Amino acid sequence: MGFVHQFWQLTVDGLEIGALYAVIALGYTLVYGVLQLINFAHSEVFMLGAFGGLFAARGLLPAGDTPGGLASVGLVLAGLGVGALAGGAAAFALERTAYRPLRRRGAPRLAYLISAIGASYFAFNLAGKEFGRQNVPLPPLFHNGVVFHIFSAQVTTQNLVTVGVAVLMLILLDRLVSATRLGQGIRAVAQDADTASLMGVNVERIIVLTFIIGGLLAGAGGFLYTITFNASYNMGFVPGLKAFTAAVLGGIGNVRGAVVGGLVLGLVESYGGYVISASYKDVIAFLVLVVILMFRPSGLLGERLGRAA
Amino acid sequence: MARRHVTGMAVAVLAVAVTAAACGSSGGGSSSSSGGKKSVEIGFQGPLSGDNQQLGINAVDGVKTAIAEANKKGDLPFTLKLAQSDDQGDPNVGPTAARQLIDNSAVLAVVGPVFSGATKASEPLFSKANLLSVSPSATNPALTTLGFTTFFRDIAPDTVQGAAAADYVVKTLKAKKVFSLDDASEYGTGLSGAFEPEAKKDGATITHDSVNPTKDYTSEATKIIADKPDAVYYSGYYAEFALLTKALKTKGYKGILASGDGSNDDQFIKQAGVANANGVYLTCPCGDANSDPKAAAFVKSFEATNAGAKPGTYSGEAYDATNAIVTVLKQVGAGATRKSVATAFKSVDYVGLTKTLKFSPTGEVAGSNVFIYQVKNGERTVLGSTAVLVKG
Repeated sequence: MGFVHQFWQLTVDGLEIGALYAVIALGYTLVYGVLQLINFAHSEVFMLGAFGGLFAARGLLPAGDTPGGLASVGLVLAGLGVGALAGGAAAFALERTAYRPLRRRGAPRLAYLISAIGASYFAFNLAGKEFGRQNVPLPPLFHNGVVFHIFSAQVTTQNLVTVGVAVLMLILLDRLVSATRLGQGIRAVAQDADTASLMGVNVERIIVLTFIIGGLLAGAGGFLYTITFNASYNMGFVPGLKAFTAAVLGGIGNVRGAVVGGLVLGLVESYGGYVISASYKDVIAFLVLVVILMFRPSGLLGERLGRAA
Repeated sequence: MARRHVTGMAVAVLAVAVTAAACGSSGGGSSSSSGGKKSVEIGFQGPLSGDNQQLGINAVDGVKTAIAEANKKGDLPFTLKLAQSDDQGDPNVGPTAARQLIDNSAVLAVVGPVFSGATKASEPLFSKANLLSVSPSATNPALTTLGFTTFFRDIAPDTVQGAAAADYVVKTLKAKKVFSLDDASEYGTGLSGAFEPEAKKDGATITHDSVNPTKDYTSEATKIIADKPDAVYYSGYYAEFALLTKALKTKGYKGILASGDGSNDDQFIKQAGVANANGVYLTCPCGDANSDPKAAAFVKSFEATNAGAKPGTYSGEAYDATNAIVTVLKQVGAGATRKSVATAFKSVDYVGLTKTLKFSPTGEVAGSNVFIYQVKNGERTVLGSTAVLVKG
């Protein structure tokens, strides 16, 4: 069968999409760690970040041929930066409008869920109205060629950009959570919010910052996704669901778990899509989730943001 | 309590007043604009939102152009209006969209549905309501064999397009090994089902695969490239074909890439990127109005009606379908009903822009030609009709 021959190529492809899932999954897992709440509007943060990055890159893109060299690097960085800012801003606005008022009133958990779904519908319909209801393309920002081969697999510029940026962001976040004062605060709130507040941690501030960090990551991730797949108003739905799956797969609330979950999911999808059929890719992903949760109900690496990072 | 009661009454009175005003204005509007003529509506059903909305917009703009021309001429016993119904190209939404038109008693005929899947789901309702529906673009071969009594289409079925595309790819472009991929839709499977046997007959080996619309064609592209085909023929719509093209070109695919009428739109080039789209072949049982000198008057009128937009795939077919309906309305006259319009349409013989509209008892249009387009420098250019391009 061709699978053996294509194994390395499928691994490279799987790692690329898996790295993206990991970046988005972090947003779910961080917020869950701090608030024990699934932020179902996170997929829209991803989508808005993608559009932010797309418009920035398109605005700066010179007319004519595909740019090269430093111009390309600059464009990708600008797209990432604006994408991240747009994602961060969207997450901040979301926290302010959809979550904080409920938290102030001590609303039950289900109310958050409904409010998140409402915010999500609002956001993607607004995007559909403003940006059109079909795919919005991003012209190529760099020459996409084969850079080198691993065994028989081609590794393209696009593979490298996506995985490189994603890995860099994951390392930065890991450092942030484990080695800074802010990270200490996040972990403290995750372990026990009441005690943390008695110890002088400003819990509200930590919550807002956690949302913003998740939004920055999702926004930059959205831009990376757009480079490969174009943007659209409903682009958040499937990757959002996958990233949520990745977060649960790795152990929700666990930062490194989200990364492992994302990569595993990306690889499984890539192999499964080839061996069975690309139509069943999503089915395979969720099947894996069910099977793993049957044997490890708290995910691959277990829950708890407090300890894991 | 008393106060609340008063407010409630005020709201009720206001509501009545508003409704009355609305009725008054709409009633007054139609009678004043028509100068005493009754107004009749032509329905349109197709995707006006969603990933592949451009194909619906192309068609509805063609309908608008024909209606504007008919009203300007003014030789009908009534004023024509358009009733749009958006089915998002989705077979699940189709029946709801169709019912909207059926429930509107002013609608005497419908142009559409645009997509084959939605057509299959909607036609039973139209047949039951005796409401004529003329699709400018639903090309699935089976549609005219399902016993729909009021269904017609002024475009050739995919048996014609698929076979012509196969002849072109295998005989003219000399592809020995062809990868045929469809989107598992009513339209896609119909087209690939016509393409594959003809390509085999022409001596090519075929690999068949079917993938539901998705965004991530990475693993499918790996699969295609591993198969080392000379040509890939995609049976599906432009939003997905653009992503497939992007994925294939990213992975260094250098062979022939072709698709059918569902991808034959400038949106394909925009979404795939000019560099990726260049060289791609598109087949369509539709001519290109923009480069056809005979269609110059239509293009001008189309642009005037639709704020400068240029006609696209299916615009000409939708325009012809509407004009054929107008001819029948004229013939039936002031007492037109759904039933009389549907019956009279069976024997229509109208020389249109794209072809002569004359239908077989099952609703199939008499003759049609398949054209080959190629993307060159970011523009779709017509290479010619397969009747001329394919030899031997």
